Amino acid sequence: MKILDIIKDANANLLRNKLRSFLTILAIFIGSFSIISTSAIQAGVNDFIDSQVDSYGGDGYLAIVSKDSFDALEGLQGSMGDGNKTPIEYNPDKIQTGMSPITDEQMEKLKKIEGIDADSIVEQKTLDITYITSKETDKKYLVAAEALPPGNVKVDVVTGKQLDLRADEYQIQLEQKYVSALGYTNEDIIDKEVQLVVVDEYTRAEKTFDAKVVGVIAPGVVSMGQQYTNNKLADDIYEENTKYYPDEIKTQTFAVAANFDYEKYSVDDIKDKLEEIGLSGMTIEDIIGTIKTFFDVILTVFKIFGLIALIAAAIGIINTLFMSVQERTREIGLDKALGMSSSKVFLSFSLEAIALGFWGSVFGITVSMILGNLVNTAFHAEGGFLEAFPTFNLATYTIPDIISVTVLIMVIAFLSGTLPARRAAHKNPIDALRYE
Amino acid sequence: MSKRPLLCVRDLHKSYGKRDAKFEALRGIDLDIFEGESVAIIGKSGSGKSTLMHLLALLDKPTSGSIKLSGKDTSKLHNRKLNELRNKEFGFVFQSFFMNSNDTVLNNVILPLKISGVGFRERRRRAMEALKIVELDDKAKNKANDLSGGQKQRVCIARAIINNPKVIFADEPTGNLDSATGERIEKLLFGLNEKKGITLIIVTHDQDLADKCQRQIHIADGQIFKESYREDFDGDGDNDGMRDNNNIHHIDIEEE
Repeated sequence: MKILDIIKDANANLLRNKLRSFLTILAIFIGSFSIISTSAIQAGVNDFIDSQVDSYGGDGYLAIVSKDSFDALEGLQGSMGDGNKTPIEYNPDKIQTGMSPITDEQMEKLKKIEGIDADSIVEQKTLDITYITSKETDKKYLVAAEALPPGNVKVDVVTGKQLDLRADEYQIQLEQKYVSALGYTNEDIIDKEVQLVVVDEYTRAEKTFDAKVVGVIAPGVVSMGQQYTNNKLADDIYEENTKYYPDEIKTQTFAVAANFDYEKYSVDDIKDKLEEIGLSGMTIEDIIGTIKTFFDVILTVFKIFGLIALIAAAIGIINTLFMSVQERTREIGLDKALGMSSSKVFLSFSLEAIALGFWGSVFGITVSMILGNLVNTAFHAEGGFLEAFPTFNLATYTIPDIISVTVLIMVIAFLSGTLPARRAAHKNPIDALRYE
Repeated sequence: MSKRPLLCVRDLHKSYGKRDAKFEALRGIDLDIFEGESVAIIGKSGSGKSTLMHLLALLDKPTSGSIKLSGKDTSKLHNRKLNELRNKEFGFVFQSFFMNSNDTVLNNVILPLKISGVGFRERRRRAMEALKIVELDDKAKNKANDLSGGQKQRVCIARAIINNPKVIFADEPTGNLDSATGERIEKLLFGLNEKKGITLIIVTHDQDLADKCQRQIHIADGQIFKESYREDFDGDGDNDGMRDNNNIHHIDIEEE
């Protein structure tokens, strides 16, 4: 018997008892729907996080501080929870509690580490801006900004373009919330100047920086609350912030950002090398890892529910096929009398099980995709729960996910079908023909 | 009629169950069936006639004894070969038809060819030929369920001859039919036997039907107790060894 004939017959046999097949497929549908939906949400969240990672410098990004600072930060955090960590000793060379600068020697060694792009090393400066305002409004707003990290950084923008880091003018990318507050729309703020004002703490003298808005940042988790500036703007604001500092402290560097060749070197390798020279590196994954873990745990729980549903569906398949073997006993007898081999009988029932699995997963995936797109649209609509995150699709369906879910379910269906299929295959044609 | 036995059966035994529950369905059958013959295996229910037919048709394996098909010992054949033999050399007609009643007439007829993997066009062509022989080619597209009993049996005959078999096994082919329809089925079967030389083995308890066969083998209690030939037919087969059988008396008593 030709395989195509067996496949056709398997599908035709499903249609013989439509209600029963439908109910079995419905059970599989529930399993496949929940699995593909959680996969889609996981993919959506990961996509979102990845785009955030990209906006922060991508996979090659490293935030580097001295090891002492890193331990101090960890120590401070840890001492809030438990008392195991020892308190940090006073050190007159440090200007911030527990933070120690990266020495010039370390900086030189850092530049020589294999895999780290020396040109990409940029000092991370905390900018102290008193307020932001514009010519379109009298209001003044608090604002946090920092220089965009180096490397293949792509900030997710709603309108406008990327910063020109090396430009000789002041450039800034603003979050959406500032755009309307400053009296503009996303479109017409591009290339307009906004005023960043630094007030001298002692003299109350104001220094104003006119920065050109080049882009409006798409809302996100990682960039939340930060505006990005190009290097010149950051340098000049920092200069203003630190004008009273003694020279030796002014030139101290506490944190740098750098890019490393993540295709050739593993993160752990680079981290080890940094450790050797008394530095500590963090990737974006380290920084936002906890968010990802949180989502992963929740979604894994949902996936387990999906799998439990599939196991229930598998029992449904076994039951359905046992009934169909029973009903078709005489037919099996005739087929075998007319020369059909046991293996073909086995195959035909197995294919019936696989067909049940196939249709169940196809319907589950289709319905999930339709609902997923509706949900994406609804959440992005005005007043929707994701209105503030236009680039975040809650449900993202990838071809590998779709294929692997379908294959998984077909395999489960096949395995459940083997029991009834074996019974059918072992039927004696004479007994089967006599069966009333 | 050729002198070469198509089916050669020697000392055939078949028993079911074990020890106390053991039941001997066949107790030493010797039989030769020649190509082109029409043979009736006649006996009451429980006589072992159906068991004999199942063994002859290679649907079941004997407990002991041998069946040679065209000189080949079938006990040495693998399942695959047995399946192939049944598919290619045999045709089956059953009392209760055994059709897929929800399917079309055509699809029922092509079943043996579908099993052997014949392509769609070829099997359709041959099915139409077979249906023409049983005069049902105009019903090819109908659902099998919508046919009358006689028509159903004709469809089954078409299914039995679609693979040009050497032997047709017919198990009570007229059992479920009224006499007029039954007669038509008989004519069809004997016509195939005469015109196409297909060996016909009919299992029946109906003496009238058995009388129409060239040779009748009477079975009771798992043994052959009598063989007879149609009056107009002069039985010159090499069957002497099986003529006298001690069980005749025993059976005669039982029949009263």
